[in-house]
Amino acid sequence: MKKKILSTLMCFSVVATTIMGCGANTNETTNGGSASSTDAGANTQSGSESADSGDKITLSIYTQYADDDTKVPYDYAVEQLKEAYPNVELNLIVQAQDDGQTLKTLAATGQLPDIYQASTDVINTFRESNQIMVLNDVAESTGFLDKLYDANKDLAYAEDGNIYAFPFSGQEYVLWYYNKALFEEYNLEVPTTYDELLNCVEVFTENGITPLALFGQEGWNTAAAYDVIATRYAEGGIKALDEGSASITDDGYVKAAEKMEELVAAGLFQEDATTTNYDQASEKFLSGEAAMFINGQWYIEDATKALGDDVDWMFYPAADAASYEAGKAVFSGGGSASGFAVNPDSENAALAAEVAEFITEKYCEAKVMYRHNPLVAIDTGKQPDSEYPAMMQKLSDTLPTITATTKFTWGLTNSTFNDAIQSESQGLVSGQFTAEEFIEDIADTME
Amino acid sequence: MKKYMGNKLAIFLFVLPALAIFIAFDFVPIIQVFTYSFTDWNGLTTPNFTGLQNYFDLFTDRVFTTSNRNQLIFAIVITVYQMLFATVFAITISDKKMKGRKFLRVAYFIPVILSVTVVCQLWSAILAGDGLLNQFVKLFNSDFKQNWLGDRYNAIYVIAFVNAWQWMGYQFALIVAGIKSIPSDYYEAARIDGCSNVLAHRKITIPLLAETYKFCLIISLTGGIKAFTEMNILTGGGPNKSTYTLTYMMYNAAFKKSDYGYGLAAASVMVLECMMVMLLINFIFRDKDQKKEEEKARRKRSA
Amino acid sequence: MRKDGNNKILHYIFVAFCWIYAAFSLYPLIWMLFYSFKTNQEIFVTNPFGPPWPLHYENYVTAWTKYNVPLYFLNSLLVSIGTVAITIFCALLFSYATSRMVWKLKTFTRLFLGLGMFIPVQAIMIPVVKIVQSFGLMGTRWSLIFPYIAINLAFACMVYYGFFKGIPMELEEAACMDGANIYQTFFMIIEPLVRPATVTLVIYIFLNAWNEFILANVVVGSISELKTLPLGVLFFQGEFTTDWGGMGATMVIASFPAIIVYSIFSEQVESAMTIGGAVKG
Repeated sequence: MKKKILSTLMCFSVVATTIMGCGANTNETTNGGSASSTDAGANTQSGSESADSGDKITLSIYTQYADDDTKVPYDYAVEQLKEAYPNVELNLIVQAQDDGQTLKTLAATGQLPDIYQASTDVINTFRESNQIMVLNDVAESTGFLDKLYDANKDLAYAEDGNIYAFPFSGQEYVLWYYNKALFEEYNLEVPTTYDELLNCVEVFTENGITPLALFGQEGWNTAAAYDVIATRYAEGGIKALDEGSASITDDGYVKAAEKMEELVAAGLFQEDATTTNYDQASEKFLSGEAAMFINGQWYIEDATKALGDDVDWMFYPAADAASYEAGKAVFSGGGSASGFAVNPDSENAALAAEVAEFITEKYCEAKVMYRHNPLVAIDTGKQPDSEYPAMMQKLSDTLPTITATTKFTWGLTNSTFNDAIQSESQGLVSGQFTAEEFIEDIADTME
Repeated sequence: MKKYMGNKLAIFLFVLPALAIFIAFDFVPIIQVFTYSFTDWNGLTTPNFTGLQNYFDLFTDRVFTTSNRNQLIFAIVITVYQMLFATVFAITISDKKMKGRKFLRVAYFIPVILSVTVVCQLWSAILAGDGLLNQFVKLFNSDFKQNWLGDRYNAIYVIAFVNAWQWMGYQFALIVAGIKSIPSDYYEAARIDGCSNVLAHRKITIPLLAETYKFCLIISLTGGIKAFTEMNILTGGGPNKSTYTLTYMMYNAAFKKSDYGYGLAAASVMVLECMMVMLLINFIFRDKDQKKEEEKARRKRSA
Repeated sequence: MRKDGNNKILHYIFVAFCWIYAAFSLYPLIWMLFYSFKTNQEIFVTNPFGPPWPLHYENYVTAWTKYNVPLYFLNSLLVSIGTVAITIFCALLFSYATSRMVWKLKTFTRLFLGLGMFIPVQAIMIPVVKIVQSFGLMGTRWSLIFPYIAINLAFACMVYYGFFKGIPMELEEAACMDGANIYQTFFMIIEPLVRPATVTLVIYIFLNAWNEFILANVVVGSISELKTLPLGVLFFQGEFTTDWGGMGATMVIASFPAIIVYSIFSEQVESAMTIGGAVKG
């Protein structure tokens, strides 16, 4: 018995010292290289790697790196960076899909990376606490502002007129995709009015096909679904509500909510839409189990790859033919002030700002060349490595006629409204909340 | 004896390590949470004191009522489910005559080992509109097909079930460990007295494991009150926040709306609720504790 | 037990139920394995529940090439073992003092520590990281181990408390008469009696530390030498789309060590229990 206890205790202490040893080692290497250890996380990192590589400077960057849409541009940018800035190395910190929880915690605890991808919400929060660098001069000196398309000028500037992030995405649009083959199979015309849409819904449902696969677990998709209807009645859509230039109790918004309620009741969306995630809904659409899909224009590449010529997008249906035609010029979606931002407390802040600008340009180039997406923030002067997909061509042709856009939820500036529209529109999609409740709740919240 | 068990130095040495770590890494943060709940902190800026404003806003928030209702349902469902099944299975496994008991013991514990993400992914596939459960139900009666996770009022029961199902294995393991630590001559004595197995367990196991049960009750109830992960993965709190809990409110306010102060007010209320439940359980079980002592004394005399 | 026919049928139904429930408990394991060999299309549309065919073993290849699996594994292991060892050690001592020893504030102290059970990690994250920094632990594995200990401590103490309460007081009386001091009594007589609880707790705390994601992401997410296995899933979550098959592969890689640890320890449970049973009350 005695032996057993002794061995247990020995175990404890051995383990403890082992870990202590490991911990101490790591500590040494990290502290050894860094000039100042005040800014723990990000800088110890850069220190540990610069220790043995002479003049190399490592910058930490917090960005997405998972699917082709995020991996291709990043890899391209890193490759280009090696030539332009041979002494700079990037330490990638993969962004988590957590509503900014990680980034905000890193900021609150002084561990902000040198360069990070900032959303509108992050920009607005961080500039209050001076944790995001003003990039006005860098944007000027690097020529970023000259390359920026005129239409995208507003994307670079925050509400206070300063530049806090280099945007790489340009104006983006919510497209109403549909499966041409399915519409032909059931002899259906592409709907232009809600009555025609209801007819399509009826035919598809009878044949066991989901009319429109929504990924309603994500609030932005249900908000977009409401917005494509709302813009048919009130041009400003959710953007006007966000800015406070319109009220949810206005006639157009009420009508839109009622229409949406009617469409939901008719079965436009799948029954479990509010618990469907993006991949579920997308696979449904791509495999021909659903006839329509609402998503951004960035989906063109994936949709074309899977469905080829069988997929297209339509102008949003409206109440009648006249408003359908008029509405062709108004799209849901739009750009958002977001992009690569710089930590002003970084040891190499000036360099980081330059690198952030450089990466932004390379992101745009990669998106044009390899992702066939010309809707980037700046004029890259690059050509895609193959022809644009038909849907993208159609969108480019339509662009000049677009007179107004709204916002994606991540471009909204009023976080209270943003939260409300996402959850309340989800309520409408579930079919268990009435249009009346929808209007009342949002009106209450906005007070 | 009293002096022996009241060795001041020993008590100090025994209590110190745990208390030091707890105070540094848990208690100090808790105090900060309470403090910040009286401010308009956004997580980054210097907070301004706003008094009870966050709490007033919280109590008038309509999601607050929903959250509390959900927590209550969640707590009750998981408590009943876990304690019932854990007890039944633990007693079954402890019966040496049961075939394959080693295998069963491992099997019941498997869901605990898997991460919550895996378990929730599995159940969301099963509970989806055209998922396994609805296909199964359709075989018998198609009217019974349900939108299991999308229902405004009932989704919370389904989510509670998923949680209860996953963590039942843990309470099961605790009760099995408890049964094993009961000296076997108690059961022998009961058998000689002519007690049936079930009766022996009711008279011996359950009273002797009162502390374990008390503990299980606390983890189930408070686990229900602070539930978050399952909602986050299975429904995202929806539809329209109808499966929110206070922890979810905290998460939403702090990270989506950058309104940390408000979020921490929700968290503080939740912590207070948990504390009240714990104190209540301790109070209810107090009499039972005394009875148990008496029972033990009586057993000793008769033995 | 009286064995009339009715009772026997009921008994068989009950046994059958036990086995069906066990099958239900094992299914997620098999499902996860299947899942890790599938593409998104198979997972969501064509084949959500059946065995995968063809095997998309490239999910494992991607997982293996996207991040340093052996290093992450080692980090997870060290952090988990450190957490388990220290938590168990502290909780044993603390619970013994608060359950069996005689002093004034023991109930208060016990309930005070019990507070730790109710705190959602998200709420205390920012203060905890700041404290970890102020102790200069950043950049070491201790930056995860100490918060994990704090998170698990309350739970462990509560479990032990219940077990200590159930041990008859006569044991210490006898030990005292035999001239053992309190430390000897604790380590040689009392501690072995709660082995079943220790084994269950080792498993539980190990799993908690092994699967923890939120805190790990914030504390070591930017330090590639210290990342733990759960952080691997980040490499599969894009802005809009998620590679679920790759996630599945990552989760299989992360879960199997845990399952192995459990199977080893569950054997230990049996032997530990025979020790516990041998000591009579």
